[in-house]
Amino acid sequence: MSARASLPAVNRYSQAVWRRNALVWRRLIGPSLTTNVLDPLIFLFAFGYGLGAVIDRVGGMSYLAFVVPGMMCYAAMFAASFESTISTYARFSLQRTWDAILATPVSLTELMLGEMSWAATKGVFSASCVIVVGSLWGGVASPVGVLLALPALALGAICFACCGLAVTAQAKSWDIFAYFFTFWVTPMFMFSGTFFEVGRFPWFVQAIAWVLPMTHLIAVVRPLTAGVAVDPLAAAGHLLYVAALAAAAFSLARWRFGARLFG
Amino acid sequence: MDGTVAAAMPVIEVEALEKRYGEVHAVRGVSFSIPAGSCTGLLGPNGAGKTTIMRMIMALVQPTAGALRLFGKPPSALGRSMRERVGLVPQEDNLDPDLSVRQNLEVYGRYFGLPARTIAERVPRLLAFMQLAERGGAKVMQLSGGMKRRLTIARALIADPELIILDEPTTGLDPQARVLIWRRLLDLKREGKTLLLTTHYMDEAQRLSDRIIIIDGGRILDEGAPKDLIARHVRGHVVEVAKPLPRGFSEDGLERNDIGDAVLYYANDPAEVTRRLPADAAYLRREANLEDVFLRLTGHSLRQGE
Repeated sequence: MSARASLPAVNRYSQAVWRRNALVWRRLIGPSLTTNVLDPLIFLFAFGYGLGAVIDRVGGMSYLAFVVPGMMCYAAMFAASFESTISTYARFSLQRTWDAILATPVSLTELMLGEMSWAATKGVFSASCVIVVGSLWGGVASPVGVLLALPALALGAICFACCGLAVTAQAKSWDIFAYFFTFWVTPMFMFSGTFFEVGRFPWFVQAIAWVLPMTHLIAVVRPLTAGVAVDPLAAAGHLLYVAALAAAAFSLARWRFGARLFG
Repeated sequence: MDGTVAAAMPVIEVEALEKRYGEVHAVRGVSFSIPAGSCTGLLGPNGAGKTTIMRMIMALVQPTAGALRLFGKPPSALGRSMRERVGLVPQEDNLDPDLSVRQNLEVYGRYFGLPARTIAERVPRLLAFMQLAERGGAKVMQLSGGMKRRLTIARALIADPELIILDEPTTGLDPQARVLIWRRLLDLKREGKTLLLTTHYMDEAQRLSDRIIIIDGGRILDEGAPKDLIARHVRGHVVEVAKPLPRGFSEDGLERNDIGDAVLYYANDPAEVTRRLPADAAYLRREANLEDVFLRLTGHSLRQGE
């Protein structure tokens, strides 16, 4: 069978994994929608009255226009990271869902693709909630730009999901996820330009910030939603970095899971 | 054409199969072959290597050495098509706790790439077959141990496999639950499915299996039909005499096996033993079974370590 002929089949099997997670999540859609809409509302309220009153304009735009795209990226990052670590590890280890799936025609790579694409879906869903709330609040200057930002957010969510899987593949217990949040999620929250410009930090913080995929994602999404001119070459560079990191993280995760499961 | 070849070919062929986990030599050179349409029981105590052998057959564990053929080919060469023809009932419960009974089957069917129509048609049939029809909407956590096992078996049948591998299908279940599962497994055998099961219950092995492979410490000790194994290794009857043995009782010329708190004597005619015992001596007389075969072959009981 040629690779071309087997490609649709690959999609079918990873889709089955994606659909399993979607089916479970469907029951939780109410609470999930509520938190995904309320979270950015609380942020916007607090920052609008707190920081917004102090900071007038950041990077040539209103603080609201600055912070809303940051929150879109943060929402995508947090949801995809949580799903690909804590939730995936529960299915891998606690519930033994992975064992049951690997006894079927679904291959490990397809199983991982299913988990990864589901985590990315949740990331895009969370980001979309911020888009809706942020637009209604008046924080999105360019409606066209925000549509263009969606594929970038999706790529970002894929990258965060792949990085999460790479960590889950190392996990022997839940302890590792505490480090994951402290050394990966929180720095992306604080130093990647969600609330402040990256350029305000000392050089060594900036150096770390530009290693994090979140910084590159925000660098693409923010000018798009604010309706500011985008340098296509710079944007391509940022997206390429995010895509490369995703591929590297997924390969690492595949190699580690393979060694653990079939060794 | 393919059909005739498949019918003549053993479903599983295993040759000098070995598995080491670091220092632990879990399987030490095991060879057997399993003909289509039969039920074979791997009988041995916990830690004998049964689960490792099954996981190697399913290509979930890589053998350290030896050859393994499934449907005439190495599992690696069969890839996805091999998984489509095998249903696995694992020892530990890995039903999906986030899904209902019915959804467990539907979702599992999708992992096999089955079309929605096929799944919709098979799920109610499998629920009825495993006597779970009324529990379709229940959460997995609400099921009893026996129901969970039945659901796991139904799940393994979703793609209508030729070979069903069951790892300790009734361990930890009450007698009624076990009998129900046995009945269904015999139904499957009648339908022409090939069954491979591991167990450390000799009654289960005896009742279900056409052929039994006795393993201990990662090695095959003997194999054959239950009746033949009993005939080969133990005499027809067992007289169990509790310790301390009655005074004046002579064991000369009797085949014996000390099991700690009692001694087993094997004889074709139980009277050979009983007439030597004093009139008031307490003893137990029964027909020899696989447990005795196992005891003779290994010197220890099947249930040790439980």
